[in-house]
Amino acid sequence: MRIGALAAQLAALAILPIVVVGVINRVKSRWAGRKGPPILQLAFDLRRLLRKRAVYSATTTGVFQLAPWLALAAALTAALIVPIVVAPVLAFRLDFVAFAYAWGLGRVALMLGALDTGSAFEGMGASREATFGALLEPALFLVAVALCADTGAGSLAGGLALRPHDPASIALWVASIAALLIVVTVECARMPVDDPTTHLELTMIHEVMILDHSGPDLAVLEYTAGLKLVTGLALVANLTNPVPSAAGELAGAAGVVGMIVALAIVVGCVESLTARLKLRVVPQYIAIALGAGVIALLATAWRLGAGT
Amino acid sequence: MTGILLAIPVLLAGVVLAIALPHRHARVAAALISQGVAIVLVLLEVVPVLAGGADLHATWPWSFPIEDIRFHVDALGAFFLAWSLPMTLVGSIYAIGYLKPYVAAGRNAGPHFALLNLVSLSFVVVYSVQNALVFLLGWEIAAVSAWLLVIWDYRSQKIRFAGFNYLVSTHVGLFVLVSAFMLMHGKSDSMDFGAWVGFLHKPSGLRSMVFALLAVAFALKSAYFPFHTWLPRAHAAAPAHVSALMSGVIHKAGLFGLLRFTLLMGKPEEWMGWAVLAMGAASALFGALSTASQRDLKRLLGYSSTENVGIAAIGFGVGYLGLTWNAPALVLAGFGGGLFHLLNHALFKCLLFYAAGAVYRVTHTVDLERLGGLWRVMPATGAMFLLGGLAISALPPFNGFLSEFLIYGGLVGGGAPTIMGDVALAAMAAVLAFVGATSALAITRAFGVAFLGVARDPKIHATEPVPRTLLATMVVHAAAIVVVGLVPLVGLALVQAPVALFTGPDAPPLARSLDAVLDLVRVLAALLAVLGVLGWWIGRRARRHVTWGCGFAAPSPRMQYTASSFAAQFNRIFEAVMPVKRRETLPRAVFPTQPGQLSTSHVDAVERRMFEVLGQNEQMAVAVSKRVPEQPRIAFAIGLVVLVGIVVAVVGGLP
Repeated sequence: MRIGALAAQLAALAILPIVVVGVINRVKSRWAGRKGPPILQLAFDLRRLLRKRAVYSATTTGVFQLAPWLALAAALTAALIVPIVVAPVLAFRLDFVAFAYAWGLGRVALMLGALDTGSAFEGMGASREATFGALLEPALFLVAVALCADTGAGSLAGGLALRPHDPASIALWVASIAALLIVVTVECARMPVDDPTTHLELTMIHEVMILDHSGPDLAVLEYTAGLKLVTGLALVANLTNPVPSAAGELAGAAGVVGMIVALAIVVGCVESLTARLKLRVVPQYIAIALGAGVIALLATAWRLGAGT
Repeated sequence: MTGILLAIPVLLAGVVLAIALPHRHARVAAALISQGVAIVLVLLEVVPVLAGGADLHATWPWSFPIEDIRFHVDALGAFFLAWSLPMTLVGSIYAIGYLKPYVAAGRNAGPHFALLNLVSLSFVVVYSVQNALVFLLGWEIAAVSAWLLVIWDYRSQKIRFAGFNYLVSTHVGLFVLVSAFMLMHGKSDSMDFGAWVGFLHKPSGLRSMVFALLAVAFALKSAYFPFHTWLPRAHAAAPAHVSALMSGVIHKAGLFGLLRFTLLMGKPEEWMGWAVLAMGAASALFGALSTASQRDLKRLLGYSSTENVGIAAIGFGVGYLGLTWNAPALVLAGFGGGLFHLLNHALFKCLLFYAAGAVYRVTHTVDLERLGGLWRVMPATGAMFLLGGLAISALPPFNGFLSEFLIYGGLVGGGAPTIMGDVALAAMAAVLAFVGATSALAITRAFGVAFLGVARDPKIHATEPVPRTLLATMVVHAAAIVVVGLVPLVGLALVQAPVALFTGPDAPPLARSLDAVLDLVRVLAALLAVLGVLGWWIGRRARRHVTWGCGFAAPSPRMQYTASSFAAQFNRIFEAVMPVKRRETLPRAVFPTQPGQLSTSHVDAVERRMFEVLGQNEQMAVAVSKRVPEQPRIAFAIGLVVLVGIVVAVVGGLP
């Protein structure tokens, strides 16, 4: 069972990033009036990049070379904590702590890779990533703690099974979704925080950090970004999964995957229809997530306090 | 017990020989050998205690006013003894390589090694004695030897000032400690810790006062916010191994004191737990924010001590509350996590200071604005700094993550008897998360700027190799970090016995709290290893070229992001608590003839406010009140949060 579950999860983690990125790009092209690339375009891109040779700057050291691969390892580990098609292989009490810190490790690897090039652009990206990441961390914790306390579950998977049924839990549910969506947009460098398709390096965050990577390393980074996005969207998808838990495991999995794709469409629409925030406004945007986290926690406290 | 007591004359003999022997190699050898012998003597006695054996007792009859001197090594003392002495020896070995240029120039290093011996001696005394006067004697030996160790480079006025600053601070702490002891002596008419139990067990106004005095004294020793002002100066001034030992080992004595009196006190009152928790959280936050802004690498690491003892105190606070509420899970997670974090901090903080010392030896500076590209010159040091940095940022799969995970277990376990207590603890978890991410920022900045990229200052000629003694001592610490991260049983074996003093003997083993997370840590470690090797293997075929940097092929070292630019945006958000000193002469006119210059540095917020209060009196209050209406949004937000809090407190509390 464990092996089977692991295989299913890994298969989903292999395919979903490609599909999700493809769906987002397709939605964006539709809004722009274009036909758009095929849904599986990222897979072709990855194959092309993997065949190439990397070019390293003479300034860089082994840190630059290994950074993408270590970031991938961290993102994969984090993805094993979140339920996507099956109950997660590595669910345990307080696994959200490990989840957040695994993402943190990936972030540090990317930032160090960026600083290794000695380029001002990449230092700029690393600085922004570090700042926003630090501000964002408490929001994720507040939401996770609130969800876990409310459902009585110790693990992230259990907490995400929350369904609203009274006023306090509706407040908790809405606040959690809001906070998690902000967490995803900041962590995965999507609009309105970061525009993955912008051409101006001065305003980039994630893309500017990987400017110098090429060949297989770039393929790994592109895939890692997709993987993080799928993991992040899976958090929200589990919380909003319309399939009731009584409908069976398979239907639940289909619901989560369906919601991930639906959220990808939402992300595509948001990226087509909104402008990127000014960089100095981003901390305030993150503060909304923090506020939502506080509300989630207080709503839980209210509900549990009324219950006793 | 004889072995531990025998260590005292052995160490003293080492002190005498290190000063008196005629040959300089013999002086150093005498100090090291006596430390080694003392370690063997102490470990032989201490290991059985940690393995669950009986406590060690001894009594020296003495006359009034000292009375009988009782020695008692329980698991807590054994825990501190078990790593303090070996780490001091490692630091002393590091000192051989670090002080070599000074010795070559004719300095006599004998007294320095004698002082290191005295530090070891003070550990033996403080961690085993039960008599207040002798305890204070050990305390004082540690303080004075640390001061003399700090001012090794006494010819510099700046270093002498830092030393005196430390000396004064530590003695202010001593006065507070003495007054607490006097109060307890007055109540029990005895200088023996055991005789104070009767008074300390009963809650009273006087007990609260004694607790507050003790907390302040120990907070000064361990550099808690706002008593940390001596710390950044002292750490920047001292030789690297002294900074490492002070931060990692010597100042843990303050936390030992706190825990010792917690054991004597029995069940604390609830406010004490919250006070320890608040003090820990404030220190962790302040320390983390300060590390993000410093440009002196050793100052930065000094502030990181304040942060990490803060994290340990968060754990202890949870343990205190657990004692008050009779919640064994909280006691286990709190004290277990706190003690484990102390040990881990000693491991990685010494490593980081040793690496910083190696940087200083090779480049003769620790100014992050001037360093850069050191990985090419000293790759082994760089790798070990990175390892220590990842561990200190509590990133998996290293040891810091595990101890913080234990503390999180206490914070978000829902163990409080009231909902509001749970909410407060959960909010503390969010603070700890912020602290972790901020310290990741600070370490990325320190490592990335100093070791990666290219050299920033052409005046730095880093050609000399890192001495082998320096590398060897770093390897010892690095290996310990990796081992404790992947096989935490090694570290937990030391922690288990002292934690049982707080939880009682029936508590489940700490290792069980880590079972599940260890699976994940090992998966992560395996993935990192496999993918790392794969990446390295694939990257062999790569070509080399200049940094692409958006097609600008003529980058200069001065175009790199610097330490201050890296943290500029973050620091601007926290400018209110992290004051910045700016000196600038900007270029004037359309065609400037004079080159402009700009220099920023972050001064200590507490020290600055202290001087501001002295210098400006009520003008400062006026300035603060003027600042508030300029930011109505912030005022509004604070008001809103307070309002929501009141509503929840009122409505949520209704049946």
